[in-house]
Amino acid sequence: MSRRRDRIGPGLLGLVSPIVVLCIWELASRLGWTNPVLLPSPSQVIAALFALMASGAIVSPLVHTVGLFAVGYGLAVPIGTGIGIAMATSRTLYGLLEPLVEIVRPIPKPALVPVLFLFLGIGKATMITLVVLAAVFPVLISTFQGVRGLDPVLLETARTLQVSRARTIVSVILPASLPMVLAGMRVALGIGLVLVILAEMLAGEDGIGFRILDLERSFQIRDMFAWIVVLVALGGVLTKLFDIAERRLVPWRGRS
Amino acid sequence: MSQRLGFDRVSKVFEGTGDDADFVAFDDITLEAAPSEFLAVVGPSGCGKSTLLRMAAGLMDPTRGQIVLDGRPVVEPPPGVIYLFQQYAKSLFAWRTVIDNVMFPVESAPRARRGELRAQCRDYLRQVGLGGFEDKYPWQLSGGMQQRVAIARALAADPQVLLLDEPFSAVDALTRMELQTLVLQLWERRKFTAILVTHDVEEAIFLADRIAVLGARPTSLREVIDVGLPRPRDQFATREDPRFLKLRHHITTTLLTGNDGHVASA
Repeated sequence: MSRRRDRIGPGLLGLVSPIVVLCIWELASRLGWTNPVLLPSPSQVIAALFALMASGAIVSPLVHTVGLFAVGYGLAVPIGTGIGIAMATSRTLYGLLEPLVEIVRPIPKPALVPVLFLFLGIGKATMITLVVLAAVFPVLISTFQGVRGLDPVLLETARTLQVSRARTIVSVILPASLPMVLAGMRVALGIGLVLVILAEMLAGEDGIGFRILDLERSFQIRDMFAWIVVLVALGGVLTKLFDIAERRLVPWRGRS
Repeated sequence: MSQRLGFDRVSKVFEGTGDDADFVAFDDITLEAAPSEFLAVVGPSGCGKSTLLRMAAGLMDPTRGQIVLDGRPVVEPPPGVIYLFQQYAKSLFAWRTVIDNVMFPVESAPRARRGELRAQCRDYLRQVGLGGFEDKYPWQLSGGMQQRVAIARALAADPQVLLLDEPFSAVDALTRMELQTLVLQLWERRKFTAILVTHDVEEAIFLADRIAVLGARPTSLREVIDVGLPRPRDQFATREDPRFLKLRHHITTTLLTGNDGHVASA
């Protein structure tokens, strides 16, 4: 009995609260409790969203945001994994890099925006650097801890089987710490997206972040909300894709 | 081909940290396994039997003395000396299929030989009774089957010396007997030198040519016993042989008593 309730549980139950909020919002809007200029009703937002999609105006900013995110995240993941493994497997590299990492890591990355403006100008280079800086540390730290936490038996197995250091890293250490690398990548995914939007707001000429701010300033509030919906959907899709990839990449997680 | 592996006056001291005193794990152990010999080392729990094997595998340096493999001192893990871990699940690669686990030691071979090696690895899997499980993942198999995968992988690495670190202590009693018989068959076929560390006296007698009995801390060699039971051995005939029972009595008594012949207090 309770088993059955569990099965329909999270998926459907999770829909209840957003629907309730939307209904209250719609009702409040229709009854004139809220200022329709500042807070359009959900149905108006959805209408704006459909118009956005129908006109094709959705494509360019979406491509801009996804592209920027892909480049930044795509750079941060190999850099973070590489440095994480290097620091975890080499005493020398750990000694060299640890202080630098610990100095840069705690800095709230938006604080670096003015610095980046000075050195890289207002544009793509700044935006990508910002995303990389934000996304690289969760991957790096998680990878480092993953490698350090590997069971010695695994590494000793590789040693006694005469596997070279390079091959041990590629075919034992990397796959064995993959669950932790992915955990870091999951955190980096969220942070990366936040920083993409922030970067577009501050330095973009296109993109979802740029649109949201631009529409707010030109008082096209319905369209602004429509873009926020697009952003929520984008976050959801990326997370879902990540879940699928993770399940395929580490099917043994929690089982060995 | 198999190799001679010896411990030459080996001592191991673990340095204490802070207020802890240094801990002498072994004191002056000299012991040798002849080529193709099956040597067992038995001792009470916590006497550091695994440390002995880890030193033999080149995974740990002795504090004094040396490990000698065919006349050469061991400093790094030597090729052909293969370690079978008690924690088989941690020793297998979860992201690889069974066949790819077995292929691991031979993967750096030239591409042209890949097909031949793969066929050979399939044969090793058949030899350990895992034909048909090539494409499963280790975590889809039972504990006993996982240790069989590790054994097949050891075979693929062409062992001259096989070090067995309580390899059957984590499986149930029936599986343990099956694995013991399997290891004996493989040993008789391949004639590698085998050193088994175990706390199971019967297992040692059943498998080994000679048994080294270790005493309590600091661990030293109490006695080396020739088993002398006929081969091939059989789980029933061998274990019911009066000589088997006599050996069991003798070794167990030795383990339970101190050097002066009295039963040691706990």
